[in-house]
Amino acid sequence: MKRNSLDDFRLYVKEHKKRSLVDKRMSEAEAIKRYVSDGDYIAYDFSSLTRGPQALIREIIRQKKRHLSICAKFTLAESSLMTGAGCVDKIDVGFLGTIPYINRAAEAGKVKLEEWTNGSLSFRLTAGAYGMPFIATRAGLGTDTIKYSGAVVSKDPFTGSNVLLLPPLNPDVGLIHVQEADIYGNARVYGPTVSALETAAASKKTIISCERIVETDEFRKNPSATTIPAFCVDAVVHLPFGAWPGGTQGYYEVDKEQLSEFAKITDQEKMQKYLSQWVYRFSNHFELLDYLGSKHLSNLIEQATIIEGYR
Amino acid sequence: MMSYTDTEMLICQTSRIIENNRTVFVGFGLPQVAAILAEMLYAPNMIQLFEFGAVGPQSMIPYMRGTMGGPSNCYKSIKWCSMTEAFSYASAGYIDIGILGAVEIDRYGNINSTMLGEGYDMPEKRFPGSGGGSEVASFCWETIVALKQEKRRFVEKLSFLTSPGYFSGRNSRESIGLPAATGPSLVVTSEAIFDFETKDRQMRLIAAKKGKTADEIIEKMEFTPIVADNLKTIEEPTEKELYTLRNLIDPYGMVSKGKQA
Repeated sequence: MKRNSLDDFRLYVKEHKKRSLVDKRMSEAEAIKRYVSDGDYIAYDFSSLTRGPQALIREIIRQKKRHLSICAKFTLAESSLMTGAGCVDKIDVGFLGTIPYINRAAEAGKVKLEEWTNGSLSFRLTAGAYGMPFIATRAGLGTDTIKYSGAVVSKDPFTGSNVLLLPPLNPDVGLIHVQEADIYGNARVYGPTVSALETAAASKKTIISCERIVETDEFRKNPSATTIPAFCVDAVVHLPFGAWPGGTQGYYEVDKEQLSEFAKITDQEKMQKYLSQWVYRFSNHFELLDYLGSKHLSNLIEQATIIEGYR
Repeated sequence: MMSYTDTEMLICQTSRIIENNRTVFVGFGLPQVAAILAEMLYAPNMIQLFEFGAVGPQSMIPYMRGTMGGPSNCYKSIKWCSMTEAFSYASAGYIDIGILGAVEIDRYGNINSTMLGEGYDMPEKRFPGSGGGSEVASFCWETIVALKQEKRRFVEKLSFLTSPGYFSGRNSRESIGLPAATGPSLVVTSEAIFDFETKDRQMRLIAAKKGKTADEIIEKMEFTPIVADNLKTIEEPTEKELYTLRNLIDPYGMVSKGKQA
């Protein structure tokens, strides 16, 4: 009998996830150095356009992490950037957009793909977070997609009809950008959550970056607004504009100028040029913000006029 | 009559077939614009669903491409939730209509959005893959597929089956294990509308754009569909549709620009 990987995860959680209230704040350099190893499987939440952990991803690129696998649930620029920087060996595909660089890399066989869907990856993270041995669904049955995935067609023991069984996903590292966190890692996401809680709870090492640090009493005042409890979280990195060039709801809008920079990345040479200009030349996130300048950043804040329930 | 592009025709036609008071799973790009147009002109009470966790958004106009998850596309949502929750509403039967695009489609409405070529490991052309398409096509009661009327898109054999139609026809969809009474309902193109006849579940041409014959449409397909006895006529985009689309929804032509029709 195969050893249940959920037990490995549970034991990891027992040993390593901190229950005590320790201040988990650190710099992005320290968080990535401490919690991301070569060969790790990384999951991240939301996208390079909205509330994605882009500053953390740039730090992974700067630290030249290698042989990573990534969960590209609905990945946009980030899979291209990490692959172009030589960090990634394998991608679990949900949606492989939107910089064509990544599609050309796949055609050239430069990166190994495993074929999933946004739904199945999200269900797998849910199973990983809930401690379920697997999760059953009917979507995917009969498609070619599942032939190139790790899903298994089985019989529903209750009805005898076909079901698709998806293994739980417990990434080595989860990266999540949130609007608010306290120093212990309690975190709030405003807006669509995608898989913020699932990724945080399913990952062995969970790094949160946040727009702002709030006191713990804020969570106790409105517990129904808490997305992630602190015991899931290993590191808290205060990174204002941490989703740049994407936007973060309630804080700042997406940087459209930078999106046209993305569109220029058509080959390896242009990829290197982009990475040199926007990643390698800065030793940390705050140097990048200095370079962008207060006027540019204020302008992104000014465009974020829709508040609704985003803060 | 105002001149218009094939993409504008496709958007207008897709918007017309979304009935009011339905829950609609909306994909990225063209389906979003068609849904906004439908909401403004034909289906004011539709409830849109975005896969990353927005229930009931009434997207702000002008439409902003690229940031589907951002505040302007998710404007005035009824609820924000997780992706698992969003797909679960479809899985449990709450979502009436899904709108999808396709790189290729076959006679049974099976969809390819993954790759072109023979070998999976070295595709001739790689596309984004399923995204949420497989779940939408599996779970929604009806799926509307919107694509251009081009021979390379209506193919005898898909390079890759990404999202399910009726597989090999008849009851193969249910025997494979997908939810009962689901499947592609309509295929909308810049020139035609197809449904799927109820016995063998093959694609059937039911309407042609004003001035187009069935033969002219079939010429732009690799396989020959069944042709309904009484072909309906699809009217050209109305001035109101074009005004709304061009001036209010997509003034920069980010989605709607295309070839002159």
